[in-house]
Amino acid sequence: MSDPREAARDASLSALGTRPPFYRDATVVRWIAQVGTLILVLAAMWFLATEAGDSLRARGANIDFDFISDYIGIQVGSGIDTNPDSGGRALWVGMVNTIRMAAAGIALASVIGVLVGLARLSSNWPLRRLAGVYVEALRNIPLLVQILVYAAVLATLPNVSFGMGPISGWIHVSNKGLSIPRVFVADGFYQWAVIMLIGAVVARITYRRLAEQREQTGAQTNAGAWATGIVAVFAIVGWWVHPIFGWLGSPLGSLADGVGAIPQGVVQLIAALAALAVAVWWIRRFLAQHRTPAGLTRLTDDDWFRMIFAVVAAAIVVLFVTVLWPGLSSWVVNSSSDGLGVLADKFGNGRTGPPIDAMRPDIVQPGNFANYGPAGLNLSIGFAAVYFGVVFYTAAFIAEIVRGGILAVPKGQSEAAQAVGLRRSTALRRVILPQALRVILPPVGNQYLNLTKNTSLAIAVGYSDLVQIGQTVYNQTGKTLQVMAVWMLFYLACSLTISAVVNFFNIRMRIVER
Amino acid sequence: MTDPMLPPASTAMGAEPVIPAASPPDRPSLPPGRWIRENLFPNTRNSILTIFAILIALFAYRGLLNFMFSEERSWIAVRTNLRLMFTQAYPEHQYIRVWVTVGTIMVLAGVSAGIWARWGGVTVKRLMGWLMSGGVLTAAGVLVREPSVLTDAAGESVRDDAGELVRESFAAAMADRWVWWAIAIALLALGLVLWTSLDDLRRRTIEIPVAWLIFGLPALLVASTWVVRYGHYGFTEGEFIAEPGQLVAMTTRVPWTFMWLILVASFALGRAARDRAIASAQAAEETPNGGPSDEGADDDAVPELPRGALARTRTSVNLLWVLSPFFLYWVVMRDPEIDYAHVFSTMLPMGLAFGAAGAAVLWLLTRSDAGEVGRLAAIGLLLLAAFHWVAAYFGWYSMLQVARIAFLLLAVAGLLAPNFAGVAAQRRRLVGAWLFMVLIAFYGATVINSPSTVETPTDMFIGGFSVTLLVSVLTIMLSFPIGVLLALARTSRQPIFRVLSTIYIEVIRGVPLITLLLFFSGVLPLFLPDGMELAELAAAILGYTLFSAAYLAENVRGGLQSIRRGQYEAADAVGLTTTQRTGFIVLPQSLRVSIPPLVGQVIATFKETSLLAIIGLFDFLRMANSVIPNQSQFLGVRRENLLFVSVVYWVVAFAMSKYSQRLEQRVGLGQR
Repeated sequence: MSDPREAARDASLSALGTRPPFYRDATVVRWIAQVGTLILVLAAMWFLATEAGDSLRARGANIDFDFISDYIGIQVGSGIDTNPDSGGRALWVGMVNTIRMAAAGIALASVIGVLVGLARLSSNWPLRRLAGVYVEALRNIPLLVQILVYAAVLATLPNVSFGMGPISGWIHVSNKGLSIPRVFVADGFYQWAVIMLIGAVVARITYRRLAEQREQTGAQTNAGAWATGIVAVFAIVGWWVHPIFGWLGSPLGSLADGVGAIPQGVVQLIAALAALAVAVWWIRRFLAQHRTPAGLTRLTDDDWFRMIFAVVAAAIVVLFVTVLWPGLSSWVVNSSSDGLGVLADKFGNGRTGPPIDAMRPDIVQPGNFANYGPAGLNLSIGFAAVYFGVVFYTAAFIAEIVRGGILAVPKGQSEAAQAVGLRRSTALRRVILPQALRVILPPVGNQYLNLTKNTSLAIAVGYSDLVQIGQTVYNQTGKTLQVMAVWMLFYLACSLTISAVVNFFNIRMRIVER
Repeated sequence: MTDPMLPPASTAMGAEPVIPAASPPDRPSLPPGRWIRENLFPNTRNSILTIFAILIALFAYRGLLNFMFSEERSWIAVRTNLRLMFTQAYPEHQYIRVWVTVGTIMVLAGVSAGIWARWGGVTVKRLMGWLMSGGVLTAAGVLVREPSVLTDAAGESVRDDAGELVRESFAAAMADRWVWWAIAIALLALGLVLWTSLDDLRRRTIEIPVAWLIFGLPALLVASTWVVRYGHYGFTEGEFIAEPGQLVAMTTRVPWTFMWLILVASFALGRAARDRAIASAQAAEETPNGGPSDEGADDDAVPELPRGALARTRTSVNLLWVLSPFFLYWVVMRDPEIDYAHVFSTMLPMGLAFGAAGAAVLWLLTRSDAGEVGRLAAIGLLLLAAFHWVAAYFGWYSMLQVARIAFLLLAVAGLLAPNFAGVAAQRRRLVGAWLFMVLIAFYGATVINSPSTVETPTDMFIGGFSVTLLVSVLTIMLSFPIGVLLALARTSRQPIFRVLSTIYIEVIRGVPLITLLLFFSGVLPLFLPDGMELAELAAAILGYTLFSAAYLAENVRGGLQSIRRGQYEAADAVGLTTTQRTGFIVLPQSLRVSIPPLVGQVIATFKETSLLAIIGLFDFLRMANSVIPNQSQFLGVRRENLLFVSVVYWVVAFAMSKYSQRLEQRVGLGQR
């Protein structure tokens, strides 16, 4: 951390026995500039915040989150709940829709992307050119234009009618979208999930044991088959015996009550202590880095400033949680208690049905026109347009990354694979792709992130994702800033989750390689 | 035959010849039969793949052609509304301003291409390949497209008893499409003639200059508007005009012919300037210690960039590029009505006073003995400038905004002064830059504060593609400096700068652009003080800029991290200040490395401008998706417009991405 140049300069200055005046001391000037910038940024934010507060007060609006629990009377086009009973529920429906679309999109985009990327490197001339045309055509047209084109084309499909196809009673396609059988989480799902969790742990332990045994003895132990079998057994048995975990409801309920009873002051105290602890830990680590066998190295002025600033930052956090926004801690307490309460409610004696259920799509005719009934999984034209849009667009970028990653594997690797007699497909699967993956994963993770963010373009075709529902909510309630805060937190959480998952696999890949 | 317009620049400068981008050695061509066997059907697996790929391609091609040539399509909607899609309802009698804008861009593009472009040639073999593929594709299209629908005498489509459309027979369809057959056969024949008239070695070595293709194809297109009766469609003064079988309107033909001439003339001008500079540099090399190149000694270090006259030309062309969007938008297109009384009473005297006083101050501050006092004076200027803004907030005294900005500019110039201290030429450079800034600031303030005389039905006097272009250009230009500053802060050793910049970049990169745009177009007014307003377009550009800056910063950071430690140490060793080290050593090298990702970011920004349609601005996409389908003549016509818009977006983005690939190779060469 410490800059050797500065240490040397400090040393030579003190050897001369003189220090420059403070306005010529580079360290001091730099810190003045930094603290000045920080103050300027904070002042600008404070200025904007007070202006916003004044404008809102002038309009008679308040910054509160009441709409999260209040009934706001909006209808949602599609999702797990089309008549949400509160603003929070409506936003939750939007989040589920966004996550659904992103997860399904990431899966399909990866498959198409890898296939097209491989096709671009194929020795077959027409296939190579076809993949090239796909990539160049799709990645150079704005995604929004593509989505609108898909929406315009899909709108020309036929109307809904009884006995329609392609497979009547199972899959329906019309200008209202796609209707397919719906698989959904039913009564006993959470109890069953506990059993599956236990099953997963048992399977993992078994797998480790057997794999270890195989390493030592060389005998074929079929670790993967055993692990799969154990999970399957737990899943099947758990399907009927899951009510035995119904008792989990009451301890979770008491936990929720217990968390809810924590006084506000305790949370503030814990937060303040945590901030101070982080500062102390950081300073200790900082000093440890400067400790050599010969003792502590000379600390430069810059080092001292850093340590002082760590303490100041901790003090600001303490001030923030205790004085500036005391309501934060009670909000944290209440929402965690509520969350636990919801979870407790999912367990219980009444929940004895199957954990997962399914329904076939139906067609109803309430008035003059036939329409899809609520039984099936109805994916609207908007969903299809956005889905095809983000999938095909992202796949073009993933294809280029895959191509680059494979080209980055030295040619000797494929030649060596050929030399030991591996078939082309085996060599690709066992030799080239594992090495290419290390290059491919980080940028592909970025593309997954882009895909997730791009689902927000659903607003252009009226599919109810988080942004679209959020806009409806704030048009209805006027709570624009609050909804935007929810957007920001949700998308930041998505980004962090995806980066964490990609990083996890990245690290695993490195370990496997060594 | 090599390109006569292309003297190899670097050999002329006496440096080692530039090796063209690494390409595999060209192998002799195979006879067609063997080529097909080896590339398409070498073994069973590949034959299946080939057939599969060709079937998919034909299926997609057939779908596209059936869509395009279907009787239900209304391509007239696109042709009638071309003007709307590119310039919205810009008034007829002021339309010359649009042409001046296009002409200016043509001149700059032509001159830049003349000075910079190093287009090679296309071998006859490739050209022949293009011609023959074009012929094959046309023939295939004629064969696979479904037969046309029969029409009765009134021009209505014929339907059978079941209501299905009745189509003509296959043979009749083939006969009807004789024009397309003729085109296909002409292309194939041209390709075959080229193929048979040359032997393989000459096919692969004879090159046709790319410049001929680049200027020749538009020439063909422009010339054809004078001959071919494309038909005349448009809204003239609100009247819908549809005259099939007519020549294109005079107001389209003449300007575009003129534009083509301007483009070629300025290209020739740029080439001539470059050739003259190279010739004089050669002359200077033959007689050492002389010649026009005053910094000729640097040539060994940077062989691809001849210094002297050509370098100055290049700098001024770059400067013109940077200034042109502002000038074209606020002065040419906006046609402001300037209040000359105000100019002569206030702006001109104030500008002269600032220019003269500032020049004097900077001249003093750049004295080599200014030292500590100079810096303190600059800081004093900065505090004074800041005080004016604080006073404006509390309303202590009134002052023209342009004066506050001028004070701030002077303070910044004062802080930069020590970097220019000493030599008289350097001092003159800083003073010149200051005078230029004053000119821009006062002229800009005058123009922006004058009302526009262009009257259109909407708030904005431009719309469609011109808004798309304006937003992308301004976003890129404004976000570039912010992005570089953020990248410098993020790689800085100062913890607070680093943390602030990291938080900003990661938060912006974590949220979708559309939420940011909704914030800036909808919520921003809440945050502004009373009486301050931000136009819708300005708010959108602000949103785009802040978004794009975060991504740009990451690209620039990649370049900064590629600079080796030794560069920093060397800069410190020769006693450069931190500013000098960053500006003269680190940034030039790192930006060179990050050029390809930066061009990628430019393409992304261009594509992202389509989101303007969502927040309610009349951009290119909105015209196609919402405006035209609501015209009474073209109710519900949407897919045709969207296809047209996709093609335009695609052409621009594809051209830029090809350019970036070339740049990548060139930058790679620079690192040898």
